[in-house]
Amino acid sequence: MSAPIAPEFRGPAVPWRLLEDYRPPAGIYDEVSGPGARPHAHCETLVRSLERLGRHELSSRWEAAKRAIRDNGVTYNVYGDPQGVDRPWTLDMMPLLIEPGEWSRIEGALLQRSRLLNTILADLYGPQRLLREGWLPPSLVLANPSFLRPCHGVRVPNDVYVHLLAVDLARSPDSQWRVLADRAQAPSGAGYALENRIVLSRSLPEAFRDCHVQRLGAFYRAHRDGLTALAPANRRDHPRVVLLTPGPLNETYFEHAYLARYLGFTLVEGADLTVRDSRVFIKTLEGLRQVDVILRRLDDSFCDPLELRPDSALGVAGLMEAVRAGHVTVANALGSGLVEGAAVAAFLPALCRHLLGEELLLSPARSWWCGHPDDLQYVLAHLDELVIKPSFPPATRQPVFGRVLSAEQKGALRSALRARPEDYVAQTEVALSTAPVWNGQGSEPRQLVLRVYVAAAGESMAVMPGGLTRVGAASDIPIVTMQRGGGSKDTWVVSEGPVTAVSLLAPTRLSVRRERLDAELPSRVADNLFWLGRHIERAEQTARLLRSLVTYVTREDMSEGTPELVALLHVLVEMGMIPPQLRESMGLPALEHQLSLLFTIDTYPVVLRTNLSEVRRIASTVRDRLSHDTWRILNQLQQDFHLRHGRIQLDDVLVHLNRMITDLAAFSGMEMESMTRGHGWLFLDIGRRIERSLAATRLVRSALGAHPSHIAMLEPMLEVADSSMTYRRRYFAEAQLAPVLDLVMADVTNPRALAFQLAAMAALVAQLPRHPKAPSPTREERTIVHAIEALASADFDALSQPGADEAFDRLTDLLDLLDADLRGVSDTITLHYFSHAEQRVS
Amino acid sequence: MQNSASAEVTVTYEVVHTTRYTYSEAVSVSHHVARVKPRVFAGQACLRHELQIEPVPAVMRSHQDYFGNAVTFFIVEGAHKTLTVRAVSTVKVGGRSLPVFVHTPPWEEACDYDALPLDAIDCLFESASIAVHDTVAGYAHPSFPPGRPLLEAVADLIHRIHADFTFDPQATTVATSLRDVVTMRRGVCQDFARLGIACLRSQGLAARYVSGYLETLPPPGEPRLAGVDASHAWLAIYCPGLGWVDVDPTNNMFPSTTHVTLAWGRDYVDVSPVRGVILGGGQHSLQVSVDVLRA
Repeated sequence: MSAPIAPEFRGPAVPWRLLEDYRPPAGIYDEVSGPGARPHAHCETLVRSLERLGRHELSSRWEAAKRAIRDNGVTYNVYGDPQGVDRPWTLDMMPLLIEPGEWSRIEGALLQRSRLLNTILADLYGPQRLLREGWLPPSLVLANPSFLRPCHGVRVPNDVYVHLLAVDLARSPDSQWRVLADRAQAPSGAGYALENRIVLSRSLPEAFRDCHVQRLGAFYRAHRDGLTALAPANRRDHPRVVLLTPGPLNETYFEHAYLARYLGFTLVEGADLTVRDSRVFIKTLEGLRQVDVILRRLDDSFCDPLELRPDSALGVAGLMEAVRAGHVTVANALGSGLVEGAAVAAFLPALCRHLLGEELLLSPARSWWCGHPDDLQYVLAHLDELVIKPSFPPATRQPVFGRVLSAEQKGALRSALRARPEDYVAQTEVALSTAPVWNGQGSEPRQLVLRVYVAAAGESMAVMPGGLTRVGAASDIPIVTMQRGGGSKDTWVVSEGPVTAVSLLAPTRLSVRRERLDAELPSRVADNLFWLGRHIERAEQTARLLRSLVTYVTREDMSEGTPELVALLHVLVEMGMIPPQLRESMGLPALEHQLSLLFTIDTYPVVLRTNLSEVRRIASTVRDRLSHDTWRILNQLQQDFHLRHGRIQLDDVLVHLNRMITDLAAFSGMEMESMTRGHGWLFLDIGRRIERSLAATRLVRSALGAHPSHIAMLEPMLEVADSSMTYRRRYFAEAQLAPVLDLVMADVTNPRALAFQLAAMAALVAQLPRHPKAPSPTREERTIVHAIEALASADFDALSQPGADEAFDRLTDLLDLLDADLRGVSDTITLHYFSHAEQRVS
Repeated sequence: MQNSASAEVTVTYEVVHTTRYTYSEAVSVSHHVARVKPRVFAGQACLRHELQIEPVPAVMRSHQDYFGNAVTFFIVEGAHKTLTVRAVSTVKVGGRSLPVFVHTPPWEEACDYDALPLDAIDCLFESASIAVHDTVAGYAHPSFPPGRPLLEAVADLIHRIHADFTFDPQATTVATSLRDVVTMRRGVCQDFARLGIACLRSQGLAARYVSGYLETLPPPGEPRLAGVDASHAWLAIYCPGLGWVDVDPTNNMFPSTTHVTLAWGRDYVDVSPVRGVILGGGQHSLQVSVDVLRA
């Protein structure tokens, strides 16, 4: 070791070494660190580039990347996670690098594998020669729950079953890639791979350029064009492709919405589709529109409750028949999950020789299918060296490592193997390779699995030059899955020379398509946008009223009996926003304390909490309809909502409420300025205006109930309606009931007034699609006109005089009428446009 | 043990099978599949078949399923509160001759998978509503001592089921598990068919589920059989050298001209006569009636 040198003399001549403290475990392959702890040749450029950035810069870019992922709402839902769904996606700063020669071997192997699996499926769902001639043991297929008998004999276009195939690869200590699993029915991860690329190429532009990384754009385009080309010949000019998702609770829902948007397909759930005349249609506001191709992210047995799993609530009744009739193509084809299991994989080398006359290029680890008596005997005798896997899907069942079992567990496993030998496959254990993962200060070794993709593109196939690399949660856990934590890496296939830049942004044709798609809004989506508008507005009303209350409580001149405070407490209790006991006289310090308690994280005012979680839930169901910026605002809103534990001052609460109100205003701004004026926007805005109108009538009614201190409510009422300034400018006076009511209810020029909402609603409703047989004007139009006329003919000077019994009877009557009309509009719109929500029974 | 009729006898039946759904609220659209056309095979001919559906479906398409049964898919559009599916068929059923049971091969020979055809291998494993567990294996075991002739063992098994279990339409539903059926010792023909299949599969034998009908009025002097007022179910065992042999545990017999075959598969869910998914409808009720008369 050299003697210490003062920092000022060290200078740039003694650079920081990325791998100086990196110690991968011995005896396994490391993806970056080669012999003598020097980087492998193809990693030199990356390592040097990161070293040039320096530790500090790398860390700050890492923070920025994490922020970008959070802001973009890239999430992965973890089933049964007490912290709820929507766990942020984790991306490492260091990509996995693959050199060109090795990549071309993987590429060739993927093309071969895709051909092989398609050939096998075409046989098993057709003549079944493989079973009759003894190439595959019949029980391996016939006992397999993934063999879907209704799919037998159904022809698929070009005999292609697997339109997108994913293969999980692991690198063994001899540096050879081996197949861990095939994902043949609805593989996930291609969307995350794309998002990883976008984030990392922005975070490390220098390294990305210097490494000559192959681009992904062309692959997605080939995938999209391949799917589009599956439409029947007579519809090829205007094919309609949808992405069928199980819904927002699915673990990879983020990517369903993301890919639908990127590929230009409509995101649908099962209930959005219906089968008529053995064709599939999407239920839109304007009626049924035929669907040609379904890219499904639903497991195949769930796709049709009529012919497949009867208990599926996610599928489309009759889909199987539409497929059989050849009027729709499902990708991947229903039934293709059959080739996913470990049992089929064990027979692939022999099948490849038989069917393609070639050696299998990517071999699995050595495998024994216990359905063969000899293999079973071997497995029983060698449990310690083997990994035992289920023969058949679901692949979610975890493999068992023989060496970690107790004697008792081994005994139990042996009995299980003997009882149902065909259910098990044993493989030699592959010691996964490691790669450095950045932890903020330095790097540590983690095991990894690489998922690569090949897509059918018409007559040919396209391989994604890259993939999704997943790393283990800790270096000693031999299983890598996102469900168990762990993270991901971008995968860079490096090339010798510069790469032609292909924009990842969608070409113009896609944005044109989106315009058209908006006209075909599924009615479920319209319904959700309507309620998103209502909940956003409700959140804003609540936040504003709470802010008024907090402002009054913290005002210096405030005392317990101040009429404004009494009135506000009354109104908020009436509107269900705070618990009734706060109205009890308790002295200002006690009230302050109680209020701040309300705002701690666990007891945040219930109304606002429910409201914001509804906003979150509904927004996630229409995620593909919201811009990235809008989504970022919604994320910000959630973050601003969460107050820290510990002592909370009312001043902090005020800050948070102010931020939330600003977030909500930003959302409205995005909605007004950036959302195309399609049907989606119409429903969002109608929902918002109905809610704002209802809030106005409720607020006035509760304020009148505070009589005689209702006068004290006028100021807060103006504030909540964001109309204080207008009032001051207009009247230069203390608030009086009649002019306040006029301003917040009847004034058509005040964008917060009820009359303004009604006029806006009338204009919006007029633009809604309507049934040719619908009466004109429609019922909702007549109801809105009724409310407008009632409001216009109201004399607020007269209405503001209390009646003989000191009650505002006539004003209350007007409020009742308006309230009934507004609810009527909401109900008729629901009935006319969203009536898809019928129950499914069988 | 009854073993009716000789191979030369044939009987022709007129069958009317009506399935009627009634809904408390209107159904806007419904999708159905029906397997109500009698199968055609060596022992049976379908001389006439008509499917009458009310309201008239917007679409009706037919195909053969994986097991060779005729399936009709149909969609009823437009609000409806009842749906009637009526299958009218004329079927000629031939008598079947069986070998003397003690001359059938030892049951273990039927467990040699390499010698079985694919459609038998298909019926070796658990299926949707037929779980094969220790309870059924334990029940089956006494009928299968080593080397016993296959059909003798099967005859013994269904004789025991018939003796041990009570026919009771109130005891079970289509969702009742086999474990519960064994515990209660009660059930209907579907339950006894499932139980018989599970017992046979637990011994490594191939057994399939058969749906069909029984003659409504027996010939003079013979007893009326159980399960005649609705569709019936029994099972078939694969017997090397003989092929599939029908067995009716509910009536403790090897069916011949008394049984009209509709469809077969691994399980009830493969052959359920009418199945549907409806939108709307509220509460629904189902009535099934079957008439099987000699022509």
